[in-house]
Amino acid sequence: MSDDGNSVTPDGAEDGTVLQKPVDRRGALGMLAAGVAAGAAAASACRPLNAATPEERELRVLEWQEFTQKHYRRMTDAERAETIQRIERLAKIRHDEDVTIATTDAQPGVLFGYAFNISKCKGYRNCIEACINENNLDRASDTQYIRIFEMEDGGINLEEADATYQHEVPAEGHFYLGTQCFQCANPPCVPVCPVGATWQEPDGIVVIDYNWCVGCRACMAACPYWARRFNWAQAEVPLNEVNPNQHYLGNRARKKGVVEKCTFCIHRTRKGQLPACVAACPPGARVFGNLLDPDSEIRWVLANKHLFRLKEELATEPRYWYFSD
Amino acid sequence: MWTRLVNGVVCLAVVGIASGCVDEQRPERETAALAADTGLTDIDLAVAAFNAQRQPGELPTVQAAPVDRWAGPGARPFEVAVRTSKQEAGHPRRFGSITLETALRIRPVSQYPCTSCHFGRTVVMTDDRIDDAHQNIQPVHPEETGALCSTCHSADNVERLALAQGEPVTLTESYRLCAQCHFQQAEAWAGGAHGKRLDGWQGRRVVMGCGDCHDPHSPAIQQRIPFRAPELERARTTHE
Ligand code: SF4
Ligand code: SF4
Repeated sequence: MSDDGNSVTPDGAEDGTVLQKPVDRRGALGMLAAGVAAGAAAASACRPLNAATPEERELRVLEWQEFTQKHYRRMTDAERAETIQRIERLAKIRHDEDVTIATTDAQPGVLFGYAFNISKCKGYRNCIEACINENNLDRASDTQYIRIFEMEDGGINLEEADATYQHEVPAEGHFYLGTQCFQCANPPCVPVCPVGATWQEPDGIVVIDYNWCVGCRACMAACPYWARRFNWAQAEVPLNEVNPNQHYLGNRARKKGVVEKCTFCIHRTRKGQLPACVAACPPGARVFGNLLDPDSEIRWVLANKHLFRLKEELATEPRYWYFSD
Repeated sequence: MWTRLVNGVVCLAVVGIASGCVDEQRPERETAALAADTGLTDIDLAVAAFNAQRQPGELPTVQAAPVDRWAGPGARPFEVAVRTSKQEAGHPRRFGSITLETALRIRPVSQYPCTSCHFGRTVVMTDDRIDDAHQNIQPVHPEETGALCSTCHSADNVERLALAQGEPVTLTESYRLCAQCHFQQAEAWAGGAHGKRLDGWQGRRVVMGCGDCHDPHSPAIQQRIPFRAPELERARTTHE
């Protein structure tokens, strides 16, 4: 569908007008939604509207409004607030969840960087557990943003590394290396998106507007690090395990047919907290901080340790470094 | 009869509340007693004062004493998270978003304060006495390095550790003791490459002390079973 605000033909009005007045797509669908609410138009033939309860009617109106909402970056503050209110209400009606969705912007003067100590990681996967809980990852398909690879000492061949080890760790003669989205400074996943649903924020986090993504999966093909995940079905999280502290660009409910990925826990880090994986790591193998602050720990690591990044020859410039003691 | 029953219940409740209070305040009273008997340092008193009025879940911390080259990035001061008493034992207290299980993996100092046994006596520190009352200690580290109890512990004051030059330091300052040999780790710890920061990437910097992860008598990290493996086959066919 057109997203540029051109006039389109709303349902039942062949001349492109509703009430004799030219309307844009959003306005037209909004009016249509109002019509649905009044029970005047049949949007869904299989669900007779006159039988709908007030809550079902409200749900259908909200779904229409959600369907016609603007791109996140084009919203005014008022539209953002309205959108957030709608999504929170939808979570309540659909899943009986009381969630709070933030739209916190990037802090000025902050650029996030991450460092991973391959000498310290013991392969416990506590980061993965914390990430699943923190980001409301789909339990049905066992979605995980982080992989921990068990590697043989002396080599760094990810092709031969094992991410599915299940034995006591750390194993003799092995070290462990974790991957997730690296929030590349030159992210190949962004320009390939045909609809501009994924972009880089000023603090370096690459985000996705789940309501704008059309699920073409071009970004997944473009990412050289296999960092993105696709929702073949609506994500399922047991009600008592839902993390209600959410962000529009982060861990809110993802629907069927959209792409998601690690956002460095945007809902936490923009408030000064550490990402859940960093907080959960028992041996402290993960370092996180502001690259623009010369006195930050991440800058100390970058200045004092031997570093490498994955697939540097691709010039993606990950803001995610590996180091050893 | 009813009155007596009610009285009994009230009495029980009062006893319950009172014992709860005593429990809560025990660290303070212990430290107060210690202050009178053993002469506490400023750091002990500061930690005790902080503990007395902190909110549940708030971190007890101590300002890390800057030592030579390691004082944190930009030579900014930072704080060390401290476990001071039995108060935290057995309770899944949350440190920020970190639970006891993940952040603090070893036992708290189970027989602290030492003066509850070693009071008014000279301690005879020989390793064949460890079994008498400290069976939980696995002296791997001293055995491997040839150290004696007195290499780290002060014989004059069991509440204290002793630096190489004889200066006594509190248990909360154990990082100063460890740093005498492990200076590279101490430097990385102060800089942020070793150990763990607790409060967030912004603002007040609180890091865990050496003993929060490493058992000082057996400091190597032990093997254990990890969190479950990803089901990559399922992920490949149904998800990614
Ligand atoms: S790791 Fe992949 S998904 Fe993340 S920014 Fe880089 S290219 Fe994009
Ligand atoms: S899957 Fe979504 S975010 Fe990725 S390229 Fe397609 S529309 Fe853009």
